[in-house]
Amino acid sequence: MKKKKWPLFLFFAILAAGILGSVMILRQPRSRQVEILRDGEILYSIDLDLAEDQILVIEYGGSSNTVEIRDHRIHMKEAECPDQTCVEMGWLESGMPIVCLPNHLIIRFAEQDGGVDSVVG
Amino acid sequence: MKTKRLTELGLLTALALILFIIEIRLPNLVPVPGVKLGLANIITVFAVYHYKASETAMIVVCRVILGAFFGGSLMTLLYSMAGALLCLAGMLFLKRVIPESQIWLCSVFGAVLHNIGQIAVACLVLGAGMLAYLPFLLVAGCIAGAFTGGCAQLILLRESRKRKKRDA
Repeated sequence: MKKKKWPLFLFFAILAAGILGSVMILRQPRSRQVEILRDGEILYSIDLDLAEDQILVIEYGGSSNTVEIRDHRIHMKEAECPDQTCVEMGWLESGMPIVCLPNHLIIRFAEQDGGVDSVVG
Repeated sequence: MKTKRLTELGLLTALALILFIIEIRLPNLVPVPGVKLGLANIITVFAVYHYKASETAMIVVCRVILGAFFGGSLMTLLYSMAGALLCLAGMLFLKRVIPESQIWLCSVFGAVLHNIGQIAVACLVLGAGMLAYLPFLLVAGCIAGAFTGGCAQLILLRESRKRKKRDA
């Protein structure tokens, strides 16, 4: 049986696409506006450059997430979830969002479209 | 089903479950949700090439359900099941195209499909913002899939050598 070559090519294609996509997302510049979403709905829309240092506690089904804004940066300070991946992700720096899957929470930079929607802080 | 076959499947399920639970205890090097080695897939891809589709499906479903009880919350059950089923379907299909000598490749596509399944569920629950993780999970799937597939490949090599020795 002749060995088929296309699976190997497909593997490299997927790997290349993944690396390319990852680099693009990681290089996305920070925007001023951050969104905190729960279940896909925007809870907060915050202008980081204007925001004061603050702590937001968000509840979901008995577990809480503690979001901290400090020096115009945002991160997940604490979380009551089993895997703590969201906390380990550190400060929001690029196109890659901070996600707490068990608590349905996403922190991400908003799409760049200019203008300020709302200010908290 | 013959007792012998049932025992084999039971053993494989137990192995997959053990691998799954051990993996939860391993430290997470990459703080991206969904990035994992997927060691249990070693068993799945092995079973795909050596057992009937229905039998492999039994192993996978049992392992996912029991794994959710022992290792994770019931929430992870949804993600696990979606990923595992998509992975299984893909590998069963690819088995016709990819020979056993390249089983690692089948495992790669299985891992990638697994991650795609999980992102799909995440998007349903959390919205399209989760798509941002797709590129990372594609890369992670390729690497992890190659690793677990390589393990399966090594196991098969040993088995064939043992078999040759026994038949000689």
